[in-house]
Amino acid sequence: MHEVVVLSGKGGTGKTSVTASFSVLAAGNTIIADCDVDAANMHLLMDPKTQQQEAFYSGELAELDLASCISCGKCKESCHIDAISVIKDTYRINAFRCEGCGYCALICPTEAISMKARRSGDFFLSIARTGDPMAHARLDPGADNSGKLVAKVKTEAKKLAERYQRDFILVDGAPGIGCPVVSSLAGANYVALVTEPSASGLHDLKRLVEVLQKFRLKAGCIINKADLQPEQAEQIKAYCNEKNIDLLGSLPYDPAFTEAMIQGKTVVETSAALKQKISRIWETIQYKINSL
Amino acid sequence: MKIVFTSSGTDWDALIDPRFGRTAYLVLFNEDTAHFEVIDNGAVQADAHGAGTATAQQIYALHPDVLITGNGPGETAAKALKNLNMRIYVDAHNLSLKEAYLKYQQNALKAL
Repeated sequence: MHEVVVLSGKGGTGKTSVTASFSVLAAGNTIIADCDVDAANMHLLMDPKTQQQEAFYSGELAELDLASCISCGKCKESCHIDAISVIKDTYRINAFRCEGCGYCALICPTEAISMKARRSGDFFLSIARTGDPMAHARLDPGADNSGKLVAKVKTEAKKLAERYQRDFILVDGAPGIGCPVVSSLAGANYVALVTEPSASGLHDLKRLVEVLQKFRLKAGCIINKADLQPEQAEQIKAYCNEKNIDLLGSLPYDPAFTEAMIQGKTVVETSAALKQKISRIWETIQYKINSL
Repeated sequence: MKIVFTSSGTDWDALIDPRFGRTAYLVLFNEDTAHFEVIDNGAVQADAHGAGTATAQQIYALHPDVLITGNGPGETAAKALKNLNMRIYVDAHNLSLKEAYLKYQQNALKAL
């Protein structure tokens, strides 16, 4: 089983469009995992039918039992992040502000405050429209800890790959280089980097490559919208050569990407020319994995 | 030699867990006594934050001579572990504990 993680550094380079295209090309032999849990969007292209859903809990949240509250104000005084407010003598805990430190619960004289596990989002096991199992999740707005939820998505995807005997797990990662990205890299066999020829595209790619090298991960680069700024594209190629990153191929800027997206499809289903290019990239990735 | 593995299961056939911080189990094997001990890391796995350093702390308490893991500890945990003078071997994921141990004996694992 091979785990291919698709990342970009910079957002908006076409990472999800490319991952979804790969999952159409690999249909029947892959598990799909959307690890961009902060802003999950793979489901828009893969139209998954949910088979199983469970709540995701992470961290704690202070809960106030008004029946035992004597309005002494000690909790409000002690809260360093100002998560407790008083409206008409009634104390309230603002769930968006509370970080779950538990100080208020500790000092409340009537034990009116207790710490409860915080519901932070949902996890889904589904079947994508391609017929392949898909593990995905959705973090609630303002909720904390996407890394832990990503770990859950990856663990479940791995179990699915074993159960369904699939050769690939295609992971759509998050932009940036933070917690969810690092978490999505655990156990990866190959990282496909989708970038674009712009100053920020290259800058964010460099930051990401630094992270990948810390974990000694083999990676290859796809330059999307390469024809928009050919000089920048050349710079990216030179950088990849220097860092020993495989050049997997380039894709042109093409409105077909947006048109396909509006239809809830991938470009490999709507454009023969792009299908040919992306198939070639997918074949190259398989070849690179097999020669690792 | 006391060897600790990050493990996804509780026996020799279990696969090495590629994750360091959120590894499912730590397995401690004492080569001198052949003692095999499983430490459930579920509590750390459930932690919201700081899984890497929490697992490093667990390992600290075990005082192993060797750590065999997958992707390896992140920067903060690696720094914490440095004080242990422990040899760290990485990229052992996709191997069972047994296979990883044999490779270790043959000196065929990648040292960090």
